[in-house]
Amino acid sequence: MEEIVAVLIVLPLLSATACLLFKAEALRSWIIVATGLALILTSLLLTAHVPFTYSPPMVFRTTLHEFIQIPDFVLMLAILVFGCRERSKTVICLASLQIVLVTWLELFQIQGVPASQAINCDHLTLIMVLIISIVGSIICFQAIPYMKNHEAHQQLVRSRQPRFFFIMLAFLGIMNGMVLANDLTVFHFFFECTTLCSFLLIRHDGTPDAVRNGVRALWMNTFGCVAFVVAMIVIHHRMGTLDLQEIIRTRPSEGLPLLGLALLSLAAFTKSAQFPFQSWLLGAMVAPTPVSALLHSSTMVKVGVYLVVRLAPAMQGTFLSQCVALFGAVSFLAGAALAVGQSNGKKVLAYSTISNLGLIFACAGLNTPEALTAATILIVFHALVKALLFLCVGAIEQTIESRDIEDMRGLYSRMPTTAVITVMGVIMMIMPPFGLVLGKWMAFEAAARTVPVIVIVAVGSALTVMYWARWAGTLMSDPFAGSFRIERQPALTLGALMALIVAAGGLSVAVPWLVQWLLILPGESGHVPAFLSEGGVLENAAGVFAVVPLSAVAIAGLLHGLWALRRARGARVVPPYLSGIQTGAPQIFIGPMQRLVKAEARNYYLTSLFGEKRLTGWVNLAAALLLILMLGSTL
Amino acid sequence: MAVMFKKIFARARSKSPWLLHFNCGSCNGCDIEVLACLTPVYDVERFGIINVGNPMHADVLLVTGTVNPRNKRVLRNLYEQMPHPKAVVAVGSCGLTGGIFREAYNVVGGVNKVIPVDVYVPGCPARPEAIIDGVIFAMKKLGEVKPCRER
Amino acid sequence: MSQNTDALLILAGLAAGPLIGGFVTGLDRIVTARCQSRIGPPLLQPFYDVAKLLSKEPLVVNIWQVFCAYAYLAAASISLVLFGLRSDLLLILFIQAVGAVFLVVGAYSSGSPFSQVGAHRELLQMLCYEPLLILVTVGIYLQTGSFRVPRVFAGEKPLLFHLPLLFLALLCALTIKLRKSPFDLSTSHHAHQELVKGLLTDYSGPFLALVEIGHWYEVVLMLGLCSLFWATSWEGMVALVGISYFLEILIDNTCARLNWRWMLTSVLAFGLTLSLFNLVWLTMH
Repeated sequence: MEEIVAVLIVLPLLSATACLLFKAEALRSWIIVATGLALILTSLLLTAHVPFTYSPPMVFRTTLHEFIQIPDFVLMLAILVFGCRERSKTVICLASLQIVLVTWLELFQIQGVPASQAINCDHLTLIMVLIISIVGSIICFQAIPYMKNHEAHQQLVRSRQPRFFFIMLAFLGIMNGMVLANDLTVFHFFFECTTLCSFLLIRHDGTPDAVRNGVRALWMNTFGCVAFVVAMIVIHHRMGTLDLQEIIRTRPSEGLPLLGLALLSLAAFTKSAQFPFQSWLLGAMVAPTPVSALLHSSTMVKVGVYLVVRLAPAMQGTFLSQCVALFGAVSFLAGAALAVGQSNGKKVLAYSTISNLGLIFACAGLNTPEALTAATILIVFHALVKALLFLCVGAIEQTIESRDIEDMRGLYSRMPTTAVITVMGVIMMIMPPFGLVLGKWMAFEAAARTVPVIVIVAVGSALTVMYWARWAGTLMSDPFAGSFRIERQPALTLGALMALIVAAGGLSVAVPWLVQWLLILPGESGHVPAFLSEGGVLENAAGVFAVVPLSAVAIAGLLHGLWALRRARGARVVPPYLSGIQTGAPQIFIGPMQRLVKAEARNYYLTSLFGEKRLTGWVNLAAALLLILMLGSTL
Repeated sequence: MAVMFKKIFARARSKSPWLLHFNCGSCNGCDIEVLACLTPVYDVERFGIINVGNPMHADVLLVTGTVNPRNKRVLRNLYEQMPHPKAVVAVGSCGLTGGIFREAYNVVGGVNKVIPVDVYVPGCPARPEAIIDGVIFAMKKLGEVKPCRER
Repeated sequence: MSQNTDALLILAGLAAGPLIGGFVTGLDRIVTARCQSRIGPPLLQPFYDVAKLLSKEPLVVNIWQVFCAYAYLAAASISLVLFGLRSDLLLILFIQAVGAVFLVVGAYSSGSPFSQVGAHRELLQMLCYEPLLILVTVGIYLQTGSFRVPRVFAGEKPLLFHLPLLFLALLCALTIKLRKSPFDLSTSHHAHQELVKGLLTDYSGPFLALVEIGHWYEVVLMLGLCSLFWATSWEGMVALVGISYFLEILIDNTCARLNWRWMLTSVLAFGLTLSLFNLVWLTMH
């Protein structure tokens, strides 16, 4: 199993270097595909070995912790240098602060020898590794034709793809390392690596907009890193260890260690772009879409939720946990409300990500077995479906050259396959029996005893349905009774989209077995699952969700619907009702002075109620107050 | 078996005629009488008649007024958007032949010059009882087991 | 044995929708007519309407409307069947929402301005009633300890005594669900024109019949949810459902249709406040 871990972390780094060195495009594509497949296979092999804990043997008489100290400092200096280059005072301040704090930690506290196991892999880590390896690889596959097209559009003379894929592949290895890490210093090193990767990828295109948003991402994430280091100092001061498993076992219930957990949660909130730190994620949408899919929806922002879900057993029963739950719920509602007021497709996806992550934080804060199961299921399915949606938007954006939902009106007539796949993605986000709604169902049942949380989450859920249904409808909004024609897409793109749909759909049906065999939660001894799964039906004392029967009915319904579609092909096609003044052409009617007018409709974005300008200030204020409450309550 | 279903459907068609009322340039006299039919005094809902505003939901097209070249097109469009089986009732002497406006330059003169008409209701204005009678006549036509699909 | 009873319950649920729903709709129209000093249609009129629609020529604006109409009917019928099978209330609500979303997408797909505005109004209506329905099920959970229907029947006192404010919130949501004034913004029933027919403008013939039958299933489901509030005796249940439905008809006939802003503020704000008070009271006891 050491080999498996080594492959998962080191192989992507090696492939990344290869991509950087060899400039030939075909060779690069093969390297990426080969690495992706190897990662997928290795992560599946990992399933057989879980759970395990170990420290890698000393190499050249240094432990892993010491091994990363020099790269750690190099990294922090690199961030400082970038801050100087971009002349950003915030980055310079925060980076310098971080260097000072880490030096303090290493010199005066740890003093050389840590007493922790470096690598720990339990079921939660396994799930994260599977997500990173499988979804990440699929996204990298799709990035190959996407970036080719992207650079053709930009008419670049010298291709920047080697650098792009270097960072993308290295990122996969870094993420694997982060979720496998048990020692907080190792975790912090990989945490910072992702900050730098995110910065470099956001500013990839080099436009002033991109650079500005990259810098914003850099300082916000560095702020999170600083909070992380302060947490490490505080925890080590009181508990004398930086071993995650040890910290969770000890369960600090008051004083400085609890403050440390609160600060770790703060770092997690920053990484997951929760309010009031959401602006970096929204700005990051200027990056090429594979970046948005990989970093900013499936993997990097999941680090925050992963950390809090892992720390949840340590926070059980404390007021901190309740604060986290309330904060998550507010984030869920606010993200959904802001998405209702957005017409830019990628921003809707960004707000939706923030919203769903808020829901996962709320589940982690509720801290019951049902809630933690809900959190894990939400993590899995959100990663899959959001990646799918981002890839679809990327494909759409490259064809119609716009991200606005209004420009996607009636996309079905231009790009039927992609439109249908996007609508299926939206269906997987908001409808049973798919996994995300199952997770939401579990979350509701877990939250039902906490009245503020359930009320907020109920309203947020209704808002969620609203903006997704609006988008799905807009895509199909074109009178089109003709036959379905498959548009031409590169094989890798179509393959990636199909793979994600099949994975999301298949996993949705297999959820009962997933809950039984795979969802052994951290900190549980003598595993008693929160939900009994029998014959494909998930049950507990409070409720029941018949996954497999409903999936069977859904499939039957789908087939019947498609058969009805075929039968209705013989039906007479009429134009939509336009008070009798329609002409033969679609949506054109005879207007005043006998002139031809096109009937146009636009969506309700309700910006007077849900607009970004109107809500952001209030939401940031509320979130900041909750965070102050959370941190203050631990003192 | 199929015959039984056809009989059931035919009876249902005759018991639930949904109206689309279209004014093709009428003086509104006949229209007021049509609206009077919906009031509690005459209450056409007893027969299952509902005044829908949408040709796609309608069975019976109730046309008042002479037809002029401008709304000839509209009348044709509305008639085409109605699904079979359907019936057309021309109300008032304007709808029959153009009435007293028959010789005006902008009058086409009667609904049957544009679309096929099933029932003619004379009167200027036609009385509500006559209009109801006309629609019931159309209902009986709709209630035939083998309604005529093509005209 | 339980498999046989399950199969029977499924069949009963599937049949109950059209039968009970149709009769309730017919009764609705007669009572409405009497309120307006008219005689009204015969009791079986909704069945005649649906049979007539099924026999019409199929017209299509966008072929996906057909799929959406079937999906709406399927979701509505499955949610009622699950209710009959005494399943989880939250699950039933989620499945019923599936149908509503498909109806909206089908309306969008026709591209006519009437359908589009109707679709938006339907989304706003969903925004108003969904949280209230979820909170009603949460209230039932807090009182009986389970989301499943059978536990409601095990209580001694009717739920109405423990959840009175939630019942009021349910009535608000019911007004929207049953498409009654003042909240029949997206589409209205029977000749109350709203943007021609709003959401359903471009559905016609057999597909409109499917949507109508789906609506009947939803009506029966909503009345079933009301009936849970007096689960201790059959007479009480029927009386409660009858009185609530009559109240809805009365409100329908006395109120004019208002706009969506009014609906959002009155239903959502008022309903959420009522629910919040009731839920907090439940958790404190």
